[in-house]
Amino acid sequence: MKELRRNMRIVGTLVVVAFLVLSGFFALTVFEQGSIWASNSHNTRLSVSKVQRGDITDRDGVVMATTVDGQRVYASDTATRRALAVTLGDTSGMSGTGIEGVYSSHLLDLSDSFAGRIKSLVSGAPRVGSSVQLTVDSELTAAIASRFPAGYRGAVVVMNYKTGEILAFVSKPDYDPYDAGTDRVEDTAYLNRCLQGRYTPGSVFKIVTLASALQNDPGVVGQTFLCSGSWNYENGSIVCAGQNSHGNIDLQTAFARSCNVTFGKLAYQLGFSRLRATAEQLGFNENLKFDDFAVYNSAFPTVQNNTSELVWAGIGQGTVLVTPMHMALITSAVANNGVMMEPLLVRRIEGTSGNVVRQGISRENRRLFSEPVAQTIAAYMYGAVQNGTATRAKIDGYTVCGKTGSAETSNDKNVETNAWFTGFIYDEAHPYAAAAVVEQGGAGSRTATELSAFALQAALYFVG
Amino acid sequence: MNRKIQRMRQALRRSNTRLLLTAVMLFQFTSMLLTAFRGSGISLQCVALAFALPAVTFVTVTGLSKIWPIDRAILILVLLLLSVGIITLSAITKSEITPRTQAVYSLGGLGAMTFGIWFVQNWRGWKKWQWWLAGLCVLALFAPWVIGRWHYGARNWIQLGGISVQPSEFMKPVMIAVLAAGFSNRPRFLKTLPTIAFAAVCCGILLSQRDLGAVLLYFLTTVFMFYAATSNGALTIAGLGMGCVAAVLAYRALPYVQDRIAIWINPWTDPQDRGYQLVQSLIAIGSGGMFGMGLGLGSPRNVPLYHSDFIFASVAEEFGLIFAVCLLAVYVLIILRGLIVAMNARTSFHSLAAFGIVVLLGLQTMLIVGGNTKLLPLTGVTMPLVSYGGSSMVSTLFSMGILLGISAGNARDEARDIDILETREDML
Repeated sequence: MKELRRNMRIVGTLVVVAFLVLSGFFALTVFEQGSIWASNSHNTRLSVSKVQRGDITDRDGVVMATTVDGQRVYASDTATRRALAVTLGDTSGMSGTGIEGVYSSHLLDLSDSFAGRIKSLVSGAPRVGSSVQLTVDSELTAAIASRFPAGYRGAVVVMNYKTGEILAFVSKPDYDPYDAGTDRVEDTAYLNRCLQGRYTPGSVFKIVTLASALQNDPGVVGQTFLCSGSWNYENGSIVCAGQNSHGNIDLQTAFARSCNVTFGKLAYQLGFSRLRATAEQLGFNENLKFDDFAVYNSAFPTVQNNTSELVWAGIGQGTVLVTPMHMALITSAVANNGVMMEPLLVRRIEGTSGNVVRQGISRENRRLFSEPVAQTIAAYMYGAVQNGTATRAKIDGYTVCGKTGSAETSNDKNVETNAWFTGFIYDEAHPYAAAAVVEQGGAGSRTATELSAFALQAALYFVG
Repeated sequence: MNRKIQRMRQALRRSNTRLLLTAVMLFQFTSMLLTAFRGSGISLQCVALAFALPAVTFVTVTGLSKIWPIDRAILILVLLLLSVGIITLSAITKSEITPRTQAVYSLGGLGAMTFGIWFVQNWRGWKKWQWWLAGLCVLALFAPWVIGRWHYGARNWIQLGGISVQPSEFMKPVMIAVLAAGFSNRPRFLKTLPTIAFAAVCCGILLSQRDLGAVLLYFLTTVFMFYAATSNGALTIAGLGMGCVAAVLAYRALPYVQDRIAIWINPWTDPQDRGYQLVQSLIAIGSGGMFGMGLGLGSPRNVPLYHSDFIFASVAEEFGLIFAVCLLAVYVLIILRGLIVAMNARTSFHSLAAFGIVVLLGLQTMLIVGGNTKLLPLTGVTMPLVSYGGSSMVSTLFSMGILLGISAGNARDEARDIDILETREDML
């Protein structure tokens, strides 16, 4: 009997512990994911919910989405509506990143206070969800979207590098939120390419290579490189765009003219582990989860298979991938003396009684570069705009810094390169940064740079 | 002697269950009343239940503990679970017939429980009857193949004069009795073989009827009871290993098992069709949040089988996460009290029987709660004492009756011990 009791104690403890683990797990998952489950599009409670969805407004208070007679209403102008759908998403939950989906627990007040429920119970008035104010500017977004080369795919991010506020997300193709869930929506239109599009960076990655070189060997600034249009390393060769021979050039000129040979040599000189360390310090191979949204992983190779991989990684080719948002963040850190701000998309969430549920507060996220490194990169980017590949980014009366990129995505030379630009306005009062990619848009110095210059000018015009 | 038992009873009555009883009755009254006023009119049935539930609870607890020195805490908690079921059903079902039927089932179940309490204290012939019971069990489990019908992809129901019953539910206490008899008095391994064979036959029949949940419960209960009785760790592990092998084989061979696992791993890939049940369950739980949508609010009816297999999701939506966790805590308390009963029992048969009942209750609750919340693959078992359904209700309450009867026997034995000790002291 004694043994029986002991065994029972063992099994009993096992059962009870299993129970506790189960309860704990259950509570934890519900606590963490409950609102995600509840805001799922298959929750018919949302559509039949007596709670009226709250409004979504832009930074100036312009209403971008509201509810009229139980119907969700977006901008009346089709182009504006489509442009904003990237940011806002739709009520049928097709977009994975849209505010309507991600913040539906606020918009519908699923997590609402007990008091609010009692109040509506007493007054009999329908409950209205919290309203969400974003940091984006609706006019700016629409303007950039209308300027985006017709028929092309790609993305533009505009942000304030001093505060971290996102001013515009543009992603093409876009879709009409009224069509969400139907087959009128183009393939991949539900993606927000700013956050979810992983692109080969091409020459915009030279910012990272440059940062690594500056960090590891400050003397590199004075070094000159010989570019004869191509360079044969151990088991391959690298060429400059159009077989241009840049001759004997220093690092700054090489950056301004986007000399592949120099940066291939630079990467080779640095070695794989140092380049990789810098890339990872800047957030490559990392889940960038911010409070307001998450960015898909940018990728840098984790093992080096051959010299080719290292040399091509130095100019952002090969298996290197980056999202436009991440590029904008790196550029913002360059502009902001090396400090990356926490990106903000939600300015404030306000309950119906005017109580502030959540307030976006500017704060530092982390330091990406040391101050001198950031300043040197900024100066080099200024050079690229003044007398390099990015001259089309000039804006009268402002100091613009930038870097272009033309990323090869195919071995077939007939496939146009992806056009890239990333840059910022160097101005205390107008601290705007932009990153743009146009898929198969040709040379970055043309399409992407013009688009970004327009975006920055529009930001000056609309945001002030 | 009689005086001593009297004293024991008084001591039991003094034990602090009065507060618990009051709290449970208050909960039953208020939540039932709340449900009564949820719609446009007043639901008379709910008002009636608001008075009937506490009344029945009070009468059952005081009455039964007057007759037998049973463990009152277990009884009160069991009654609490019963009323949670009835309250939830009253709040969420469309028709009033479902909660009314459940109330009738519960009354029937309380009858079965009373019978169980009486039966286990007066029945001495368990060793003699073991194989008769085993035969009955096998025959009953086999019955659906002869007079049964398919029901939600399993053939585990039979029609008996207009009412359909689930033999696998009713045979649970019988199986535990057979196992307890077979495993009692520290048998050698060879002596347990017929009993193990019996359990294997039961599992085989249930598997052929695709009642996966019941297979799992019968199997695990057998393994745990075997371990407790023989303390043969190696064989127990081997048994569990065989179970795992069988599970893998079943996964390979049976497409519906693969289906279940696939849905469990990611229900969101097919939220409209195959994953519908689980996705809706998770959505319901998520919508409930911490404090729930409120009794009678929300729409738990979106979840298929919201009243039986998925009642936990309904409870979580109506009452919220905190209450749901507390509900699980109630099960834990019953299990703990039950284990104490098992450990205090004087014969290994009674001890093992109580143990089996407790383990089965715990496993079944875990299976269905895990299934509802996507922590375990879904198996169609009921949530004991809460889910809608007569077979499960009556059978579980009968088991609880046996547990309570054993607890009463323990109390009486302890009283006798005290008595003997005192007599001895007097003589010295």
